[in-house]
Amino acid sequence: MATIEVENVRKVYHRDAEELVVLDGITVEVPDGDYVALMGPSGSGKTTLLNLIAGIDRPTSGTVTVAGTELTALSERDLAQWRSRNVGFIFQFYNLIPVLNAEENVALPLLLTNLSRSERKKRALMTLELVGLADRSNHFPRQLSGGQEQRVAIAQAIVTDPSVLLADEPTGDLDARSAEEILRLLETLNRDLKKTIVMVTHDPRAAQRARTQKHLEKGVLVS
Amino acid sequence: MKFLPLVLRHLRHNWLRTLSTVVAMAVCIFLFCTLETFVEATKYNLKSANDSRLVTRHNVSLVFPMPVSYRERIKSLPGVKRVSVSNWFGGKYKDDMKLFFPSFAVDGEEYLAMYPEYLLDDAARSAFFKDQRACIVGQETADRFGWKVGDSFQLESFIPRYRKESPFEFMIAGIYKTDTVRHPGTNGTIMIFHYKYLYEATSQKAQVGSFVTQIEDPAMAVTISRQIDELFENSDSATKTETEAAFRASFVSLGGNLALLLRSIGVAVTFTILLVTANTMSMAIRERRTEIGILKTLGFSDGRVLGIVLSESTLLGILGGTVGIVLAHNMIQVLPRLPFIGDAVRGFPRLGLSLPTAAFGFGTAVLLGFVAGLIPAFLSYRARITSLLRHV
Repeated sequence: MATIEVENVRKVYHRDAEELVVLDGITVEVPDGDYVALMGPSGSGKTTLLNLIAGIDRPTSGTVTVAGTELTALSERDLAQWRSRNVGFIFQFYNLIPVLNAEENVALPLLLTNLSRSERKKRALMTLELVGLADRSNHFPRQLSGGQEQRVAIAQAIVTDPSVLLADEPTGDLDARSAEEILRLLETLNRDLKKTIVMVTHDPRAAQRARTQKHLEKGVLVS
Repeated sequence: MKFLPLVLRHLRHNWLRTLSTVVAMAVCIFLFCTLETFVEATKYNLKSANDSRLVTRHNVSLVFPMPVSYRERIKSLPGVKRVSVSNWFGGKYKDDMKLFFPSFAVDGEEYLAMYPEYLLDDAARSAFFKDQRACIVGQETADRFGWKVGDSFQLESFIPRYRKESPFEFMIAGIYKTDTVRHPGTNGTIMIFHYKYLYEATSQKAQVGSFVTQIEDPAMAVTISRQIDELFENSDSATKTETEAAFRASFVSLGGNLALLLRSIGVAVTFTILLVTANTMSMAIRERRTEIGILKTLGFSDGRVLGIVLSESTLLGILGGTVGIVLAHNMIQVLPRLPFIGDAVRGFPRLGLSLPTAAFGFGTAVLLGFVAGLIPAFLSYRARITSLLRHV
């Protein structure tokens, strides 16, 4: 069964009179529990495709169905609610909130649930432990290394237990050792927790760690 | 409420900006409340004015005196019930202006008959009428100095023509009370004594600053005022007569519309602070575009993001309003004790921050914060995640 179904998706941006086709009739299926590396040169449409799957952007035409929900049919409000329950997003630059410590950053998505404050704290600490940062729960992002920040970001992405994880160049800003730690963590999440992962990357070594590789060029899926 | 810690963290993180915005707003609310308190005190003072009482003064200025002989001529006019001298004495207690209270030399019996709002028992009245050095003081002044009936004290005027070699000696014959329900606006701080004492002690040099005339029919106020002024229009000291309310209004406003002036200042300051706060909020939100993008990516709806931004700016208003009101309350208490300024404000009866003024000031601050956050909140509400995260 496919968790992610992208069908004949086009994404076109308009700049004055100019029409810029970023994705041109993309059809792709990601089975439940798969780990897909999305590769391609800059401007090929990787991040745009990831944003469409995450429900943070809408296609010009075509449909995107994730975890049984057709995202194109949802209102902005419903889409926000859907995101909070179904996907975890990992950014290249971690994107943690600087005024919150690690535990509070991880607990942020839980504010949208009905969990009590103590339950939110308990779950955030458990998730931090899962990514190996239980001892850094009170540290602020500026007090963490890049690799640690990215692990906190991963903890934030999985704290609501979404079925799909979307990572936009998660190792792009890290040194080799930290990158290896993150890739190992993503493998664990895919293998042990059965998370479906779609990862955008430029790095062929990172892509090799995924089960499936897909290549995009000029908005078209080439393999 | 569960988003409050996030809002508070942001305010604490940029503490310097938060502090400066809160202080700016606090100063605005402080000014507003203080000015409004003076406007209220002025209006309260006018409430005690009575339409059956006229005040006659020199037509050039209160500073110029009139001959004491005017009293009998005014009294001879038809429709006039009573006339009393009312001379601002300008007494200094212990030669210290910080201890100032208003003092007037009057024609005792006539004056007290005209002012039923000064509540005195018969024993006090009779003791006052019997002794030339006797005086009546307001309960507030008596409480202030711990005076009781029978106590003596000395005053020295700061007006040169009322000065003599030694200070004036007074004995308290009575302490008047006020009934703020029946006679709102009654000043509970003044001291009155016999004009005769002043007149004789200054070797009959003391003239008259103003006359208070009680008339039979308030409807005749305009006619009798004109008749009084006509009596003296060709003399060296022409007069200006008006109702007590008009006299007090012109006196406290110093010739202008004080309330309008003070309120205009308040509105101008409030508008300026609105712009400053709106600018601060815009800057704060512009710096956090990525963060707003993250919140939306995590599933925070547009409406929730709008709420968080508005909460932040409204909280600034709440903080600024609270600090401003506390400042205003304390300053209004301290003002009468300050040199120079204190002398000017001590004459206001019941000077204090009222609950409606404090509530209005606080409401203004909250509204100010809310309105200042509207535009940045709306921009955050409308912004698309992809454009917010493009700045990464």
